[in-house]
Amino acid sequence: MKYEEAMKRLEEIVSRIEENKMDIDQIGESLKEARDLIKFCKDKLYKTDEEIKKILESED
Amino acid sequence: MEAITLLELNGRVKSTLQFEMPDAYWVQAEISSISPSGQGHCYLELVQKDATGRNFLAKAKANIWRGTWLKLKPYFEAQTGETLKVGMKVLLQVTVTFHEVYGYSLVVQDIDPTYTMGDMARRRKEILEQLEKDGVIGLNRELDIPALPNRIAVISSATAAGWGDFRDQLANNIYGFQFYVKLFPALMQGDDVERSVIQALNAVAMRRDDFDVVIIIRGGGAVSELSCFDSYNLAFNIANFPLPVITGIGHERDDTVADVVAHTKVKTPTAAAEFIINKVFDTASELESLTRRMSDSITDRMNAENVRIERLSQKLPSLFAVLKTRQEQILETIWIRSVNGVRNLLTAQTHKLELVDKTLAAADPAVILKRGYSLTRQNGHVVKGASALKKGDRLTTVFADGSVESEII
Repeated sequence: MKYEEAMKRLEEIVSRIEENKMDIDQIGESLKEARDLIKFCKDKLYKTDEEIKKILESED
Repeated sequence: MEAITLLELNGRVKSTLQFEMPDAYWVQAEISSISPSGQGHCYLELVQKDATGRNFLAKAKANIWRGTWLKLKPYFEAQTGETLKVGMKVLLQVTVTFHEVYGYSLVVQDIDPTYTMGDMARRRKEILEQLEKDGVIGLNRELDIPALPNRIAVISSATAAGWGDFRDQLANNIYGFQFYVKLFPALMQGDDVERSVIQALNAVAMRRDDFDVVIIIRGGGAVSELSCFDSYNLAFNIANFPLPVITGIGHERDDTVADVVAHTKVKTPTAAAEFIINKVFDTASELESLTRRMSDSITDRMNAENVRIERLSQKLPSLFAVLKTRQEQILETIWIRSVNGVRNLLTAQTHKLELVDKTLAAADPAVILKRGYSLTRQNGHVVKGASALKKGDRLTTVFADGSVESEII
């Protein structure tokens, strides 16, 4: 998944909760998904992605 | 016929020139070659071309002697940001000389940098107009810089101070953001800039999916030599590039053509790094705010649900009491109705029985006999009329207290 997609999905979930469009049973599931998305985004921002490093270090 | 020596002839040419053209002239020309000498002089070749730019209309050698060159060079470079080079249009103040051995040449006394700058500006304008006409000028600016631009292709010279500044700035960002930077080396000064930078751009384009943005940077110097970034070909490549291009080529003057077509132009490599860091900071802030909104709205929602449950549970006993009362009432009514029903039924049955009893009692023969009636039998059969009897028949008459035999006479 791309960072942008993750943010978009997160925005969607938050909006739906804010607009009260979610029942309590769904909220539990969405909260879990949102936590995963936030972690994904934070990792992208702050953690070294060895795979990207490897790709960039490779010669053309 | 009187002959003169070559020296004598050249001497006459020399003195004629000195006599006829003693003044200094301002001359417009294009530099076709330039070579600084070991002694600190500078030798130029000046030309004038025809409209096609292919044919020479005039040509002359020009010398800038050491004393003049020491003053003019820094002056010109400070004013234009350029070094004198081939292809440049210049306005020079010259005196005309003739040397018996070296022939005709000009001696440069002064230079007017505004003419060169005007020419560069005009050329820049022409290139921009052409890019506009070709419909490419705004193409790169239309691209979106991704939310997280942390995979960065850098086009710069490996030895440039600007490249080091840029890398350090990113690596030491105070937020702890991760950046992945790869250098695509290119010449950033001299005549080969255009070709070399385009080559580097092509190398990045080959692996475009590995990167989010391209940054063209170089360290600033006393002489920026920006005119190499006023190139149609380079600008065309930048404008058409599939990733957003950010320029940080270090200068104060008006934008180069490369700056104009780039997605974003900043002044220095450090500013380019700041630009990227700020972009990521915006993204991180957005993530923070989303996270906060998420927990706030869930807290709000949970509070609201709690209030709802609380309210319901408070209502429940009274609701139940009401329900209980109502049910009891219904039961009571049913009870009363059933009791009454049973009672009415019993009364009705009793009446019926009594009636039957009375009727039965009234029909008992013993009771009737007691009231004075009697029963007549003949041969054990009840006699119900007189017409069937004849003289001599024997009858038994039953009374309440016994019976008697008799004969009809």
